Amino acid sequence: MARKNKGPVTRIDASSYSLNIDASDRTTLNALLDQLRDVLMNDSSSDIARRLFPAAYHQDELHEQEYQRLMRDELLSSRLASLSLTSTLLERETSSDNIVLTADELDALMRSINNLRLVLGTLLDVDEDEFEAGLNEDDPAYGQYQLYSYLGWLLDWVVTVQTEFN
Amino acid sequence: MPIQRLSNTDVRPIDVVDPGTDIAPDTDRPWIVLVWNDPINLMSYVTLVLQKLFGYSLEKATELMLDVHNKGRAVVSSGTRERAEFDVYRLHEHGLWATMQREDA
Repeated sequence: MARKNKGPVTRIDASSYSLNIDASDRTTLNALLDQLRDVLMNDSSSDIARRLFPAAYHQDELHEQEYQRLMRDELLSSRLASLSLTSTLLERETSSDNIVLTADELDALMRSINNLRLVLGTLLDVDEDEFEAGLNEDDPAYGQYQLYSYLGWLLDWVVTVQTEFN
Repeated sequence: MPIQRLSNTDVRPIDVVDPGTDIAPDTDRPWIVLVWNDPINLMSYVTLVLQKLFGYSLEKATELMLDVHNKGRAVVSSGTRERAEFDVYRLHEHGLWATMQREDA
């Protein structure tokens, strides 16, 4: 995926932003979001599911069961709503590669990208130190590492554009 | 209630049994919310989420994020059980690894 010199997200004014990623990147992101939706809907026991729905109570099984009974569906609904909003905005028709986002849409995009990173990072069993040492092209998972790296780059810009004017 | 009736009320003091303060009632012990370190979440992202959810300044949020990164965890909020559950939920919504427990647990 091509990386532009200019950031992929810029602030237009106090309540709107511009997302500038090309059509192929948007297509890839949407395909990943579809896979994430599938994981959220159908996986409830893997390491990935445990990372997406972590325990709330530390070493307190009784309270934890009650918490999950009450809150898991709400967390799932929130995640799916963010995914749906993000998918919709990525499919928005534009005359260029620019998509204008509201603050809420940017927030949904941010959380969806982070969810994708959580899934990929868990799948790859990412270790901070090893990852920073560099990607190995001979690694069978090289493509997934590249994707993980791309999502990190995009997320960092989404964060930066929200903090640089604070 | 008529004022006349109030003035005629018998208001002699009664003996009150002091429950003592050596052991605080269970419900008085606050809950704390912890964010744990993980190798996936970006440091900049964690800082922004702490600012956004708790209204912390950049300096305070950065300090907490660095505690998470360097010490493995940080207490990011405290209060009633209901408040802690709400905070944990919002942190989970943003993909942070958060748990809650009694303050002295």
